[in-house]
Amino acid sequence: MKLPIQLSKENPAPIYHQIEEQMKALIASGQLPAGTLLPSIRSLSKELEVSVITTRRAYQNLEYEGFIRTIQGKGTFVAEIDASLKKEVKVSAVKQAIEKAVETAIRHDYTLEEIEKMFLDVLNGLKAKGGKADE
Amino acid sequence: MNSAAALKGVKKEIDDFRLGPIDLEIEAGFVTALVGRNGAGKSTLLKILMNLVKQNEGSVAFFGQTLDGESEDWKTKVAYMPQSYPGPLPFTGQELKKLTANWHPHWDEQWFQQMVEHFQIPLEKKFEKLSQGVQQKLKFALTVARNPQLLILDEPTSHVDIPSKKQMIDFLIDWLEQEDSRTILLATHQVEDIRKLADYLVILDDGGFLGKYDKDELTAQYKRYWIEGNLPTATVPGELERGKGVIATKCARQAEDFLRKRGITWSSAVPLELDEVISIKLMKKKNTALKS
Repeated sequence: MKLPIQLSKENPAPIYHQIEEQMKALIASGQLPAGTLLPSIRSLSKELEVSVITTRRAYQNLEYEGFIRTIQGKGTFVAEIDASLKKEVKVSAVKQAIEKAVETAIRHDYTLEEIEKMFLDVLNGLKAKGGKADE
Repeated sequence: MNSAAALKGVKKEIDDFRLGPIDLEIEAGFVTALVGRNGAGKSTLLKILMNLVKQNEGSVAFFGQTLDGESEDWKTKVAYMPQSYPGPLPFTGQELKKLTANWHPHWDEQWFQQMVEHFQIPLEKKFEKLSQGVQQKLKFALTVARNPQLLILDEPTSHVDIPSKKQMIDFLIDWLEQEDSRTILLATHQVEDIRKLADYLVILDDGGFLGKYDKDELTAQYKRYWIEGNLPTATVPGELERGKGVIATKCARQAEDFLRKRGITWSSAVPLELDEVISIKLMKKKNTALKS
């Protein structure tokens, strides 16, 4: 199976970390439910055009943190994870996205007050449209 | 680390061409891509490994056992796809298959047929009558279906059409997935092969061994920075080039420390493409020659 993982060249985070974070988000959001068979390290490496050294590291960390588990001879599967862990990942993913937006604004020399106003503008715009972001 | 193949102090002279000395370990379970310009010695290196060319100095080992000229053990564990067969081959694909299957105890007929079907290889035709691309596909199927532990491929995807190239890579991935210890060493000029398959890169430059690199570590070090404000007057660590507002370096980590210390910021940092990195590696020698 293909995973909807997209590595960003401009992201300063190491590649294995990007793979880990995106897998966690896919698992926490339920896009990859518990029990899903994941691609082998070799085939994910091909898809992402990285070495198996990088992919293996990501899988090892995810396994250590309990997001996935490997059954000898059968493959690697999405593990059952606690609701609290799911929530933690979701909150941290959203916060990271907001932090990134704020960093962009700071780079464009906006003050925190101005950024706050922009953020509220975006929220109010969404509320007016019925609370859904454009797909 | 398990070694699939190793070269120790290998040297070879052919007329005025000198290869080596080369010390190289091919790790089991990984894909190593051998790159370099035409005539860099890639094919010669593979032939030395296969005992088809005798080195002047040094030794070759497979799976930890040094070849002493008598051991034949490795021959069922290693399959080699040459760039071209020596001399004309007056056989059909079918005949070549029979010959190959007879000689190789792990021959996988089902898989061979699957590849033949996918690539639509006409087995009834004489090998010489096939186009270069189809010859290549047949050689590929004849090599991979031997089901060895180590595949040594000399430019497997050259002359091959785009969909079949992609299919070859997928066949190799399928093959690798079946056992953790399966290993590939391939000489290639195709960036796509390296991107999708390789874990390690071995770079040869005019017979010289430039080094063995972890693919992702290598590319993470080569970056281009779009600098905000003025460029630093001093040379940045590993600086490769600078243009209007842009600096490229081969030591990203040190360069970032250097820039930060001087309060210089950048709007974006983008890793160089793999082909650019390889080109820079292969240019280095020329530049130093010019300077001296």
